[in-house]
Amino acid sequence: MTYNLIIAGIGGQGSILASRIVADAAIQAGSGVDGDLKVRVGETFGAAMRGGSVASHVRIGPDVGGPLVPKNAAQAILALEPLEGLRIGIPYLAPSGLAILNTSEVMPIDVKVGAASYPKLETIKAALESLEGRVYLLDATSLALEAGNAKTVSAVMLGAWANLAELPFALEQLKEALQGRVPPKTVSTNMKAFQLGFEAVASD
Amino acid sequence: MLLMGNEAIARGAIEAGVQVVASYPGTPSSEITESLIEQADEFGYYTQWSTNEKVAFEIAAGASLVGARSITSMKNAGLNVAMDTFMTIPYGGCKGGFVVAVADDPDAHYSSTEQDTRVLAAYAEILCMEPGDQQEAKDMTKEAFELSERFELPVMLRSVSRISHASGDVVLGDVEQGRNKIGFNKHYKVPYRWNVYGPPGARSKHEWLHRQLVDMKAYSEQSGFNEIRMVEGARTGIIGVGLGASYAQEAMQELEMHESISFLKVGIPFPLPEEKILAFLKALDRVAIIEEGDPVVENMIRVIAQCHGLDVEIVGKNAGRMFNPWGELNPDIVRKGIADFMRLSIAEDEARNAIKADIKELVTTRSSALCPGCSHLGTYWVVQKILKKIPGVHIVNGDIGCYEQGGYGEGGRKPASDEVSKKYKRSSPYETLDTIHIMGSGIGLAQGQVAAGYEDGKVLAVCGESTFFHAILPAIVNAVYNESDITFLILDNSWTAMTGHQPNPRTGMNTRGAIKPADIFDIVKSMGVKHVSRGNAFNLQEAEELLAEAVEAEGLSVLILEGECQLQNVRRNKITEGFMQVNQDTCNGCRTCVTLGCPSIKFDAVTKKASIDPITCCDCGLCTQVCPVQSISKGM
Ligand SMILES: Cc1ncc(C[n+]2csc(CCOP(=O)(O)OP(=O)(O)O)c2C)c(N)n1
Repeated sequence: MTYNLIIAGIGGQGSILASRIVADAAIQAGSGVDGDLKVRVGETFGAAMRGGSVASHVRIGPDVGGPLVPKNAAQAILALEPLEGLRIGIPYLAPSGLAILNTSEVMPIDVKVGAASYPKLETIKAALESLEGRVYLLDATSLALEAGNAKTVSAVMLGAWANLAELPFALEQLKEALQGRVPPKTVSTNMKAFQLGFEAVASD
Repeated sequence: MLLMGNEAIARGAIEAGVQVVASYPGTPSSEITESLIEQADEFGYYTQWSTNEKVAFEIAAGASLVGARSITSMKNAGLNVAMDTFMTIPYGGCKGGFVVAVADDPDAHYSSTEQDTRVLAAYAEILCMEPGDQQEAKDMTKEAFELSERFELPVMLRSVSRISHASGDVVLGDVEQGRNKIGFNKHYKVPYRWNVYGPPGARSKHEWLHRQLVDMKAYSEQSGFNEIRMVEGARTGIIGVGLGASYAQEAMQELEMHESISFLKVGIPFPLPEEKILAFLKALDRVAIIEEGDPVVENMIRVIAQCHGLDVEIVGKNAGRMFNPWGELNPDIVRKGIADFMRLSIAEDEARNAIKADIKELVTTRSSALCPGCSHLGTYWVVQKILKKIPGVHIVNGDIGCYEQGGYGEGGRKPASDEVSKKYKRSSPYETLDTIHIMGSGIGLAQGQVAAGYEDGKVLAVCGESTFFHAILPAIVNAVYNESDITFLILDNSWTAMTGHQPNPRTGMNTRGAIKPADIFDIVKSMGVKHVSRGNAFNLQEAEELLAEAVEAEGLSVLILEGECQLQNVRRNKITEGFMQVNQDTCNGCRTCVTLGCPSIKFDAVTKKASIDPITCCDCGLCTQVCPVQSISKGM
């Protein structure tokens, strides 16, 4: 069985780093030539620019082939920005899949110049729920600031995911991978962010 | 170890003991050379960013002629630029292992075209390898160096975006300790080996090249990269090429057809393992071919089948088509294709699709925009302002670089009709450019428009400074020589920004350290251009005056507008503070600042006031200069 996770966001928010952390954890858990897990990370960009939509597809399992998640097959979507969660959730979220959306909105230029409107958070949540998603809204940006650095948003999201999802590896392996990938000086801030994310969804 | 496909290719080169690396950047290939540059000191080899792919190709080829193992990497379009030398080097062949890594881009995520460069390997008669995952990307690259030395020819490694920019677990191998000796032998094995005109001439060198194909075919026949898995009794088969093979295998598993379809994985699309393919085809009634890009392998297989009079049904991207010969593959397309081929029906969840169609409406587009503080924003503002004042239908010929966004159109709108082009009315920097094709094309097209007698308006062209060194120089000389009356703008932001900020001759550094930056003004002057000017792209008044003069000048005029890429400026100078602010009392809601196109500027439809996002604003000051009521100033 393949575990499919998509981390969606905007260029520069850290979705690519987060996807590599998950991939590292999976490699720890038993991939490589002799292991039976394979790992693939695929990245999809909009028009390849900064500030554009980015989604990182992470696939873990013995039969993984290509780097892209099939439609309706993402067991989990972590969205660092809510509209991006909707954009990716509609095609990819599996029925009963988990969608964790950071509530901090980043307005597209189209909205800023008054050429388009941004959907309300509740509308986004309801839309994904209409696809049978298990949807969680989380103010990850505030939690990241609480941890000490706005850039730890993706660690908050991974923490929430670790609590809500059936991980394809041990929780410890994910934490180790996180420590291994983030800049050494930010390890404790990131661990704190992870923990805050983990706890934020515990009470739900 | 988790490696991106491009890093895996770089690692393969390192394991093979690469000695010379020369490339020009191009997405999705750039990380191959970036990764090699990062590790150059550790493993001890030479690297350079060259000014274009042809030059880079020649550097790598020259190194090979004196025995070094060398690699050049490029994007699909890069091979077009290198084409002349690429076609000719095989006539003399090479000595040190020489690998040409080309990253194609099916779906044109980052490219002007979807061109499939595998055809060009066949055209040049050199071996082409195509990895199906990151492990193969590394292993094939390493082997490619050996094959290149064995056949004394360059070997092409064809990647695609979904290999190059995807990551996978890769098991590393040992790094070759020895290095090839450097030396030169004019008549190495063949008289006048490195001189296609050397007696007995090019025809005989072509014959030599063509004969090498026999050995290449023999290798392809026994290579583990081309692998058959016959299923007893199966009458249908699938041939998967490169990434197509990975998609196919996954889809077959999922459809539980693994045990009923014979499978041939092709990792060497040229030359194909003809005997293996024949054996495969002969055992089957129907075969589907799954490959990224054009039906390149498919067509060659059709030829094999026809030459041997085989009565086997072949489907792919041609007749009886299973996949479109445009766009890219993905797991869904491949699964559906295989299901149709096997006459299985996969149920669509109609109810779910209906809900999706409904909620899709909510998904606001996120149009790409130039970055906050980008010097190109100021330049396009000035271009629009000047051209609006002059009556006529002006043509602004674009080019490729970050500034190509000047032609991306505005805010998720529908395509315009041809009525729109009758009058010059533009309201956004993203509507500035009228033609965009490929690096260097704008300045040539502009000269053609003038040569044809276009008189309905001004004719301009733009390029970036990296593009200037890459493809513009001969075109400027041409404009001087042929007395073309165009206005040409060089948007100099000091970096090859579009592809991730590689240095170029203007930056003041190369891969080895600091150097004196080239002076574009002097270069243009020395080519004989009479009207050359330069100014600061962040000073709109100055830029406007200079552009007005340049547009009015008789004959060719060249204006260089300088302003460092703001992302690099912020990074290098560690700028963390500073932003602009709109005075909400005096803002009159005129939206002039909005038409600057900076993504940090917001407009509130209810209050009819503009505001600036303090987080993304980087304090470039362009908006303060455009506000007609002086409502924008430094924030606190
Ligand atoms: C033949 C070819 N090689 C490489 C590329 C990739 N590429 C696109 S634009 C560009 C150069 C951009 O630099 P510059 O002209 O300085 O403009 P900037 O992006 O800095 O505005 C490159 C290398 C390409 N499109 N075509």
